[in-house]
Amino acid sequence: MKKLLAVLLACAMVLTLAGCGGSEEKSDFDPIAEFGSDTLYVFNWGEYIGENTIENFEKKYNVTVKYNTFDSNEEMYTALLGGDVYDIIVPSDYMVERLIKEEMIQPLDLEALTNIGNIADGLKSPSYDPDHTYSIPYFQGSVGIAYDTTKVTREELEAEGWNILLNEKYKGQIFVYDADRDNFLPALKALGYSANTTNDDEINAAYNWLLKQAETMEPSYGTDEINDEMINGNYALAIVYSGAAAYIMSENEDIEYYEPFQGTNVWSDAMCIPSNAKSPKLALAWINFNLEKDVAIDNSTYVGYTSGHQEALEELSQGEFAGISAYTPRVGYELDETYKDDNNLKAKLAELWVKVKAAK
Amino acid sequence: MQKLKKFFSSSFVWLVMLFFYLPIFYVMVFSFNESKSLTRFTGFSLKWYQKMFETRTIREAIYYTVVIAVLATVISTVIGTVTAIGLSKSKKILRDVVLQVNDIPMMNPDIVTAIGFMLLFSSLNLEKGFWTILLSHIVFCIPYVILSVMPRLRQLDDNLAEAALDLGCTPIQALTMVIIPQLKSAIISGALIAFTMSFDDFVISFFTSGPGISTIAIYVYSSIKRINPTINALSTIIVLIVTVVLIVVNVVPMIKERKKRVAQ
Amino acid sequence: MKSFSKMAWPYAAWLGAFVVAPMLLILLYAFTKQGNDVLTLNFTLDNFAKFFSDSIFPVVLWRSLTIAFYTTIICILIGYPVAYIVAQMSEKKQAFFILLITLPMWINMLIRTYAWKGLLSYFDFDATFKVMVGMVYNFLPFMILQIHTSLSKLDRNLITAAQDLGANNVQTFLRVTLPLSIPGVISGITLVFLPAVSSFFIPKLLGGGEYVLIGNLVENYFISVGNWNYGSAISLIMALVIILSMFVTKKLDKKVGGEE
Repeated sequence: MKKLLAVLLACAMVLTLAGCGGSEEKSDFDPIAEFGSDTLYVFNWGEYIGENTIENFEKKYNVTVKYNTFDSNEEMYTALLGGDVYDIIVPSDYMVERLIKEEMIQPLDLEALTNIGNIADGLKSPSYDPDHTYSIPYFQGSVGIAYDTTKVTREELEAEGWNILLNEKYKGQIFVYDADRDNFLPALKALGYSANTTNDDEINAAYNWLLKQAETMEPSYGTDEINDEMINGNYALAIVYSGAAAYIMSENEDIEYYEPFQGTNVWSDAMCIPSNAKSPKLALAWINFNLEKDVAIDNSTYVGYTSGHQEALEELSQGEFAGISAYTPRVGYELDETYKDDNNLKAKLAELWVKVKAAK
Repeated sequence: MQKLKKFFSSSFVWLVMLFFYLPIFYVMVFSFNESKSLTRFTGFSLKWYQKMFETRTIREAIYYTVVIAVLATVISTVIGTVTAIGLSKSKKILRDVVLQVNDIPMMNPDIVTAIGFMLLFSSLNLEKGFWTILLSHIVFCIPYVILSVMPRLRQLDDNLAEAALDLGCTPIQALTMVIIPQLKSAIISGALIAFTMSFDDFVISFFTSGPGISTIAIYVYSSIKRINPTINALSTIIVLIVTVVLIVVNVVPMIKERKKRVAQ
Repeated sequence: MKSFSKMAWPYAAWLGAFVVAPMLLILLYAFTKQGNDVLTLNFTLDNFAKFFSDSIFPVVLWRSLTIAFYTTIICILIGYPVAYIVAQMSEKKQAFFILLITLPMWINMLIRTYAWKGLLSYFDFDATFKVMVGMVYNFLPFMILQIHTSLSKLDRNLITAAQDLGANNVQTFLRVTLPLSIPGVISGITLVFLPAVSSFFIPKLLGGGEYVLIGNLVENYFISVGNWNYGSAISLIMALVIILSMFVTKKLDKKVGGEE
């Protein structure tokens, strides 16, 4: 009996705890009348939005945003296939391509997007969705190597490129993303192949390259934790997205960003509305909101990724991120590629990547 | 010699207790850290507590965790108790089969149960979220209630219920006024196990949750990638609540008893 | 009275829907080819062939079994003495220590595991060691409590009798106390080994992304890769291996019991 009392007591305490601090001011806006809904379900990458964006949106439109995060395009795709219903998702280029093909995202009402003119010049006509019928760019970037200048020199990187990730001098000091495609990228590029290869021999050669890395280099695999690790100087080399590098560089002056001469992946992530979204109108308001200059600046400043908003991009590359090379990834380099959607390749790489991890 | 032995044995036990509590104290200390670091203590600050209370996702996670645990406990206790009583009067075949199947969720590794639910919900086209988590929790809690109530039922005197019926009680009255009161302690301990299982669960909630909902455990799991000292603050609060409650419940009766004794 | 028996029927249906059906779905997925529609039912053994013909998956299975085995052994080696010493104490002291041991169990396992993250980052242990610390930490209380329960149920008179008959302390322990506490150890083993084999968040939290156990494979195939068929096959293999090892443990128990 007394234990039951304990449970009741604990519940009461916890619920009071959860309840306090819950008062939030709301505007007079009537979201139901305007959008037919007052709740927006957003599915975005982890650490990929400004600190105040959600709150500001909620206040402006008097709505609630339910925000979930994912670590990879594949994780997001699986969740959608599993029946999860969202109003906004933020897939990368090749995933947008697939979602269009499989009719999992819906055409956007471009008339409602009054801020559409603000899209960054380089993203005005992306190959996966040239007219923005389905997607509006959010962030862009490249994959490269963040390195600690107290441990690695630029000359070494320029001599070896991606192959520095097999240099045993840096054994135990390298970090790579736990994401299949982004890890096959260095291997394929180091071997001189395309990141979109469909040749099994080439894929196998890349797999062996990664196995060798797993066996000889003691690499660490992970996701966002690299930001803090790199800032604290715990690794010499890390494969990172340019935006993460920009964030790390703004916190630790010893870190630099290098895009290997063998070529790399240039990518962009875009906001889309799934076909089965419950609040598509409110979702459009969200997209339009993120195309506002102040919001885009807030987002980009906080996460460090290159804005998909032209003015925000210009202002930040001269202000907050001035002198930080990673904020403005290289453009027009011949060996750089965008990923293409290829179900077969994706399945193979996903499988092989699990095996590389397990082999360590 | 005897003393030495006693010294060694009690220091061994205390060493194990240190092992149990060291990480907990560590987290508590660093929840007051001024900087983000998990290894260097740079100064005292309450900012992570403030941040925790300001974060709506954390408040919601706490709320959902408790609400799901309470609902799952109440519902699984009712279903479990009713079923156990029914089973005790059933044919042996039915009873044996039901009890065997009832064992499956308890013997299965969490992750197998979890993906089973995930496949079920997806093939039924059920949208994952609050209700699917709650349903899953009820499903894996009921077996513990039954397991706790069944043995007590076997010890019951059938004649009491028979007598009640003979004296003109309806079956419902016999149930609520004769049988259930006798099972009270077994039902309560079943409910407690159910509550702990639900409150402590991560794996099953993780695989059955959907858009816009997370429990404390899911929140922690999804935010461990970045150093996030608000988790230290959250852990500290939970540890404190559990400790205070357990101490109150265990110590207060002791003091009362002592007072009674002194009074006599 | 007979009418009460009807009260068990809804639950029988419930079990069918929420316990049996999910297990059947796992079986169905494990034995079919991946496709957009399960209802096409392409039966195959490919998923299993793939697992066992591979150079890495069986290694992961083996790794999970060994780490769970060592975790269990360590839990017995630490847990038994603790339970034994506590069981010798006065009633009040026993209650105190049992409270100390139970208290951390009320805190969510994920938070308890997270707690080690900062502490372990001071040291340069390898991933296996860190994962093992996390497992022992999470599961040791179960072992202690199980053994303690069986030791405290033990009839003191048996020990007194053995001593009266001339057995010394060691003999009394080996011949009387230990055999009678074996059931506690066995149920402790079940409570430690089973979750240790299938755990996926302990290796993920403490071992870094690179530490893969069989549970992580299942999570990976369900959450990121999105191949539920293969994921189901792996979890089926895992469940079978666990059932098998439980069976062996129970057999050993009977053997030990039989020697008396």
